[in-house]
Amino acid sequence: MRRRKFLRYTGTGLLGLGLGAVPAGNIIRAAGSNAPDAVWVENGEPAALLQAAIEAYGGMRRFITDGDVVVIKPNIAWDRAPEFASTTNPELVAALVKVCREAGAKEVKVFDRTCNNPRRCYRSSRIEEVAKSAGADVDQVRDYLFTDISLANGEELSEWPIYRDYLEADKVINVPIAKVHSMSTVTVGLKNLMGVMGGDRGSIHNRFTTKLIDIDQEILPTLTIVDAYRVLMHNGPVGGDLADVKTARTLIMSDCTVTADALALRLFDYQMDQVEHIKEAYRRGLNKYALDGVNLKTVNLS
Amino acid sequence: MRSTRRIIQVLFFLFFIVLFIKARYPYSNALPSDIMLRFSPLVPVFDFIANFRISLLFWPALIILLLTPLLGRFFCGWICPLGTTLDGVSHLVNSPDNRKSIDAKKWRSAKFILLVGFVILAIFSVPVWGHFDPLSIFNRALTVVLYPVFTLFSESTLQALTHIRFMEEPVFAMFDFFKSWIMPEDQAQMQQVFWIALLFGGILALEKVTRRFWCRNLCPAGALLGFLSQFRFYERLVADSCPQCGKCARECKMNAIPEDDATFTNKVECIECFNCGVTCPPKIDAITYRWRWKPYHSAVDYSRRQFLGSAVGGVGAIGLASIGLHNKKAQARVIRPPGSLPENEFLDQCIRCMECVRICQSNGRCLQASGVTENLEDLWTPVGEMRTGYCEFNCNLCGEVCPTEAILPLPLERKKQTAMGLAYFDKDLCIPYAKDEDCIVCEEHCPTPDKAIKFDEKEYIAPDGSRRMVKYPYVDENLCIGCGICEYKCPLKGEAGIYVTNEKEDRLTKEDLVKPPAPKSKSKSQENALPY
Ligand code: SF4
Ligand code: SF4
Ligand code: SF4
Repeated sequence: MRRRKFLRYTGTGLLGLGLGAVPAGNIIRAAGSNAPDAVWVENGEPAALLQAAIEAYGGMRRFITDGDVVVIKPNIAWDRAPEFASTTNPELVAALVKVCREAGAKEVKVFDRTCNNPRRCYRSSRIEEVAKSAGADVDQVRDYLFTDISLANGEELSEWPIYRDYLEADKVINVPIAKVHSMSTVTVGLKNLMGVMGGDRGSIHNRFTTKLIDIDQEILPTLTIVDAYRVLMHNGPVGGDLADVKTARTLIMSDCTVTADALALRLFDYQMDQVEHIKEAYRRGLNKYALDGVNLKTVNLS
Repeated sequence: MRSTRRIIQVLFFLFFIVLFIKARYPYSNALPSDIMLRFSPLVPVFDFIANFRISLLFWPALIILLLTPLLGRFFCGWICPLGTTLDGVSHLVNSPDNRKSIDAKKWRSAKFILLVGFVILAIFSVPVWGHFDPLSIFNRALTVVLYPVFTLFSESTLQALTHIRFMEEPVFAMFDFFKSWIMPEDQAQMQQVFWIALLFGGILALEKVTRRFWCRNLCPAGALLGFLSQFRFYERLVADSCPQCGKCARECKMNAIPEDDATFTNKVECIECFNCGVTCPPKIDAITYRWRWKPYHSAVDYSRRQFLGSAVGGVGAIGLASIGLHNKKAQARVIRPPGSLPENEFLDQCIRCMECVRICQSNGRCLQASGVTENLEDLWTPVGEMRTGYCEFNCNLCGEVCPTEAILPLPLERKKQTAMGLAYFDKDLCIPYAKDEDCIVCEEHCPTPDKAIKFDEKEYIAPDGSRRMVKYPYVDENLCIGCGICEYKCPLKGEAGIYVTNEKEDRLTKEDLVKPPAPKSKSKSQENALPY
């Protein structure tokens, strides 16, 4: 279905490009209610953490309406088993797929542009297997399905190719795993969005902060769920040593990626000052909630 | 008989194609993909010359060699996929019958000259026969030429067809089928594709001259099997009712029936296709096939003079093949697959089949068919080209599929500690050193559990007096395994800021495999403990 739609766009010319350029992010500002700005759940198994977080956050129906096409963007970047905490927890992804379907999503798509061989990553992370059986479409990223979007507010970049499934989705849920990262100190939600970026991503690493935020600000997701069930504390982002993995059994959820990322720093005892790209996101006002005024709800499942 | 032969021929052909397609990630060794290559009758012979042993690894070939003195060249007629391809091509191009090519009989001896030449070269440790092994030729052509071209065309055709509205549904069903079962890899890009296509295409084109031109005149495996079939017991017998119409002699695929005596079969040439039995007019039906315990003998078309000629030629070729370029730069870039034997043994064992290159395409995609770097022996051996791909840390599949164990089948844990080489920074290019700006993409991708690329963070004071912190990467020699992902992912255009040489590569022998690896640094990989 999806690909058919895409290829018809390529066939009928620029129509697809025009539509594709509408950013998927920033669409939903959570409707009032008394929901908190973010939720922090700890001491549970992945599916239970998710369940608790969604309840505390006012239910998935806040974000998903009947017939939505939902993209879930986990981190599947590396050819590693889930235990190494290099890729998003597969049980969490599977549970999330189910929740989205129950909330009325017509289609749920799961994909990532990987760093290692994509078929190896999809398999070793176990995300392909479990997300498929939970009812998601898990397809490989095809390199002819990227669309250049213009970055009107870019300070360094003026356009960048983004995966079309991502752009065309009605709702997008970003599911990073929290890891340390040699270059960007940590990788959480903002950095995880690199998995929908096409082109030569290596070149983003040079003057990283500016370039990443240039692109990110156009593609912010509907919802961000930080997987901190296992947290990679050293040798990130690839890992490979179980001794570097801390089992934190935690999950953070917010409709503001920047807030979720800022909260995730607590997992590592990092200060905002140490993480340039999150700081930059605040400087450019990508946050929905003020840094020191987040209405955070904490749930302890133990 | 002919229909049975045709059916078996097609089944073997399909079997080989299935084995070829199956050689990819995820790979299961239940039906080893490389078994096809172990059918080659030449492999045990040259393995014997190199190592004075008869290895049961090559059991399919050994069975064929044992049966050939009894049955003749049934391998050529029934099994060899190159032969089957040639039969198909000869139908397409309408090869002429034997009237035109009677004279060409004198070319038959060429294959013996080649075989003897290769044997002499192999005795002097110049292994170049693999380039002409029929199964290697077939697999190499599939890997480097046919499969990439096929995927290129089918993928783009399918994409184009989707633009026709009513075709969308069926075409997408096909596209999905292709992508999940036949060509999940990205389009393979192969160096040496032109030369390998030229050899393969040339062999096919010769069908325009005679049927099975390659098998009649050039194939060293055919020569070996022909030599063994001189006395074979299973014979073609012609009844007295034969009017010597010469039809079978004209039609014979191998020109194995003399035009002046249709009762005789040249056993050295006959590949037992059983076409003659069908060619014989039904009213006469003079041809039967039977076992006889006192078979007649057919002489090999190979004179003492030709033997001397091939000996001299072989010795000359030794010189030609051994002249080295001594290009130190090229030598350092000959990066062999992980678990390769020491270079000389590796060159002896490698049959240039490109099976490793094939499976690497669905993994890190670093392996490529080499050109001539030092001398002719290098041609079409696998080398890691780290700018077109890298060795995937969790992959050990090239060793799994190498038919001759030129690449040893390393357990995954062992493979991860086996270095293909060592990475060096080129500080004139590397962004942090050349421009004093951050990058360290290489460090990010480095897969060893304790990263082999590390960095120093230092303050840089720009000419305008502004200051910034920059991460300057360096390589820890004890941790680097030369997998090349750093070189592959380096965002610079052209030459990377880091490159792998074969310095510090681990070359293993079978004996090393039973010993634990030499303690290598503080590497602390534990992945094997896990169920995945
Ligand atoms: S090293 Fe590669 S090309 Fe050589 S025999 Fe093994 S699989 Fe074939
Ligand atoms: S182990 Fe490395 S070189 Fe061998 S097939 Fe796998 S990726 Fe290629
Ligand atoms: S990826 Fe290339 S340019 Fe960047 S730090 Fe590494 S070697 Fe230097």
